[in-house]
Amino acid sequence: MTAKPMTAKQWSAEAVETLLAAQGIALAPGRAERLARAYQAMLEASAADPLLARLEFEATPTGFLLAMQKCR
Amino acid sequence: MSDPALLSLAEARSVPPRELLQACRARIEQWQPRINAFIELHENPSGGRVPLAHKDMFYRAGRVSSCGSKIRRDWVAHETSAALERLDAAGFADLGRLNMSEFAYGPTGHNEHFGDCRNPWNPDYITGGSSSGSGAAVAARLVFGALGSDTGGSVRLPAAACGITGLKTTWGRVPLRGAMPLSPSLDTIGPLARSAEDCAILLQAIAGDDGSQEKRELRIAMSSAWIERSAEPEVAAAVLAAAKTLDTTPVEVEPPDFDTLSAHCLVVMQAEASAQHAQWMRERPADYSSAVRARLEAGYAIPAASYLEVLRLRRAALERFCAQTLGGADLYLLPGIAMRVPTRAQTGPAGGADMPRMLGDLTRLTRWVNYLGVPALVVPCGVDSRGLPLSLQLVGRPFSEALLLAAGRAYQRATDWHRRVPA
Repeated sequence: MTAKPMTAKQWSAEAVETLLAAQGIALAPGRAERLARAYQAMLEASAADPLLARLEFEATPTGFLLAMQKCR
Repeated sequence: MSDPALLSLAEARSVPPRELLQACRARIEQWQPRINAFIELHENPSGGRVPLAHKDMFYRAGRVSSCGSKIRRDWVAHETSAALERLDAAGFADLGRLNMSEFAYGPTGHNEHFGDCRNPWNPDYITGGSSSGSGAAVAARLVFGALGSDTGGSVRLPAAACGITGLKTTWGRVPLRGAMPLSPSLDTIGPLARSAEDCAILLQAIAGDDGSQEKRELRIAMSSAWIERSAEPEVAAAVLAAAKTLDTTPVEVEPPDFDTLSAHCLVVMQAEASAQHAQWMRERPADYSSAVRARLEAGYAIPAASYLEVLRLRRAALERFCAQTLGGADLYLLPGIAMRVPTRAQTGPAGGADMPRMLGDLTRLTRWVNYLGVPALVVPCGVDSRGLPLSLQLVGRPFSEALLLAAGRAYQRATDWHRRVPA
């Protein structure tokens, strides 16, 4: 069976409210919808980097420290 | 020159400390009501010769460090920050605590708890943030230099908007111990001063000598067409003219993908800042300004996998910048801010529908640098038609601060924008 890639879903105000409430964070009134739009834009912009598609399986956050020394 | 407060930091070291202190205090008395740069002026400044003052997030044991917030308005630090210890040891005096954006989480210099810090060139305009008091105090010649922190542009934006020189250091170059954390993967500490030469003196004190030699001929990379297309015309004209002063034959390269790198930076910054503030956001959210609360709320739904993916990608992004953007060049040249300095009203709580776009434009050319972790220097390179400063930004490879400062010195030997003082 071939797995079908997921299509990105839009964040909803309800989802944001639920997720924050689960962490004990109360949203200021009227914020959930704006936040949902902002998340969507930010994560889409971040995911647009073509480098992501070539990110090696072995890559870890600590690799950045090695790169800083290598790129001096 | 009759007023010793107008000397460079290098020159001031030969003036008796009492004279310097009196001169700075006289200017503070004159300017503080107009620009609100200080949160507190110490009655008995720490010993030392040349007066400095610092963003109110560098802890000093036994003293309040408000971090520009209501939550920490009366909080007394238990330790002294490594950066302050080093400045003390190098013989600098600490005159007081400087205004800043609340918890260093805002790019303009607005602060509803301590009052907005105002631009010495025109108090209707922003100072830039979050090191707002550092930018304003140095520009108005109230002190000879100041520490700031830079997580997404917080040293460079005030330097750019106030017409002074600011150095964002390489991530890890200056120890963060005893400085308020915002986003530990991005946080850096750097000096704001009157010139690149003065910044070099302060960097030497807080980071030590890295043994780098000045190169005889700097190779500059830039993206002229992008600057002409994307920056406001007055900004583009000043920056392109500055490039000719610095190097007559810059290498033309494709610009980095500023917006994607900025988006990565935002994922890291929001996730880390929100985690840092989680306890207070649960217990006393009403004690934050609405703007900072909104920024903090934005971090709690970022998927952990997205955050880690962006951190994993950081190495590849840095290697690409060094190999492809810099290539054989030493530094990448671009504006500090692509737009002219906006007013406080345009970017404040009542800023209107255009405000989010304007705040995004303000940090568009600074945040990407923090994601890559590389150092950057901002120097003044002109004034716009309203008399507000324009700025040039140079970005280098990791740990290339000495080279950046050498380039800044070379530019400032050929120009006098850094010598202008607000009246």
